Amino acid sequence: MATSGIDTVSRAEIRLWRLGLLAAFLVLWETATRRGWMDPFFVSQPTALAGQIAGWIRTGFIFRHLAVTLQETIIGFLLGTLLGIVVGLLFARWETLARIFDPLMVALNAMPRVVLAPLFILWFGLGLLSKVVMVISLVFFVVFFSTYTGIREVDRDLVNNARILGARPRHLIRHVLLPSALTWIFSSLRTSVGFALIGAVVGEYLGSHEGMGWVISYAESMFNATGVLAGLLVLMAAVIVIDVGLKRLDARFSYWKPIAK
Amino acid sequence: MTRRFALPREAREFTAIEDVSFEISGGEFVSIVGPSGCGKSTLLGLIAGLAPVTAGRITLDGRGVDGVHPRLGFVFQRDALFPWKTVAQNVGLPLLFRGVDAGTARARVADWIARIGLTGFERYHPHQLSGGMRKRVALAMTLVHEPEIVLMDEPFGALDVQTRNLMENDLLDIWAQFRRTVVFVTHDLEEAIALSDRIVVMTAAPGRVKAVYRITLPRPRSVTEIRFHPDFGRLYETIWKDLKDEVRLGYERNRHGLAG
Repeated sequence: MATSGIDTVSRAEIRLWRLGLLAAFLVLWETATRRGWMDPFFVSQPTALAGQIAGWIRTGFIFRHLAVTLQETIIGFLLGTLLGIVVGLLFARWETLARIFDPLMVALNAMPRVVLAPLFILWFGLGLLSKVVMVISLVFFVVFFSTYTGIREVDRDLVNNARILGARPRHLIRHVLLPSALTWIFSSLRTSVGFALIGAVVGEYLGSHEGMGWVISYAESMFNATGVLAGLLVLMAAVIVIDVGLKRLDARFSYWKPIAK
Repeated sequence: MTRRFALPREAREFTAIEDVSFEISGGEFVSIVGPSGCGKSTLLGLIAGLAPVTAGRITLDGRGVDGVHPRLGFVFQRDALFPWKTVAQNVGLPLLFRGVDAGTARARVADWIARIGLTGFERYHPHQLSGGMRKRVALAMTLVHEPEIVLMDEPFGALDVQTRNLMENDLLDIWAQFRRTVVFVTHDLEEAIALSDRIVVMTAAPGRVKAVYRITLPRPRSVTEIRFHPDFGRLYETIWKDLKDEVRLGYERNRHGLAG
């Protein structure tokens, strides 16, 4: 949709422009590699990528690895989210707890988790567990800070009103604090899901025998640029599908908001 | 009673209200008027048990207030509706909190929604309603568990004049039926006279009781018509004389940043 008043380009036209540019890019890429301007060994080429992906789909190879990655992502995401909500709730409810652990949380969050991945693999092995831990370590902080802020920023009038209407602490959490925090959690949901996938892939990339990270890492070790790029494309497609799904989910859960963004 | 707030950054205390003392009988409609910043809202918060008094005490039915009284209702200046709940869920909330069984609760919620004229809007969310409708829901939510005492903090301040008059009349009708004690905070003297049995005039900060007036205008009243009653103008003039100086004082202080 055109946002500025002067811009009157229609949606269809924008879509046409996107497709046109993409097609031009692919044609240029293909031509450049065929004419010998660039070496396909380093940059691969569109037709080779298409062939690679088609082959992966035909043999079912890619689905097995995609399933592994998604499984790690989903398990880690759910556990990380749950943990983030619970700890965020505890911290928001008990001021002292927050004051004691605040520096620790900030320090832990500042630590680059990607660098920790080899340690996680050392501790939890090459399998599912190390990746799930990796994902949790990324997702937890996003959700934790959202929940904490969401509860701290809850409308004072609403809390007072609930108290006057007779809310006990558990009512307050269930009917006021959590719904209020949920809007914050949802607003960071797409970030945290993105982090989850990155966590799983990086974990696999550094030490695993299956999953999309492993597929890319394996192709790299074979100096197979086509395999690396094809793996990235598949991941990209997965992220786009997930993102569309999340947008729908967000719209469903924000039904009470005046304008869904 | 007195209520002081610590102002840690300025290393001093701010006295919101000081030596305020008055009594309210059961079933009485009392308004508290005063300039902005005189601690009217603070006073209501203290009566509601939302905040502790610094000195003195408040009693409801002879018992000291410590915490929120279960038979008390509060209508906030802003709607304070729960935006993620429907009209029916909002109205039913106090019953849910009090563990009233679902069947009884449903009947009472339906009854109150009908009484505020919002039948058919049960499944709407607050953002889909107009300001007046939201205020009605807030009123129903407060009254559904039939509190003995209803505190109202400038409840109609944000409404346009027409809606406001309608709401005031509705409030009087409901009050006439139930005869609960109402403590109504407003800065609008006309509104206070039209609604109340008694008016407490507060001074500029720190808020003290300046005067108390009994309003003997006949009931039942209509807020739009009672203004033409011969006594209305006389009462207005008398009370306004008291209020005027305080309003000016409050304004001056606000301008100089002395009062919060």
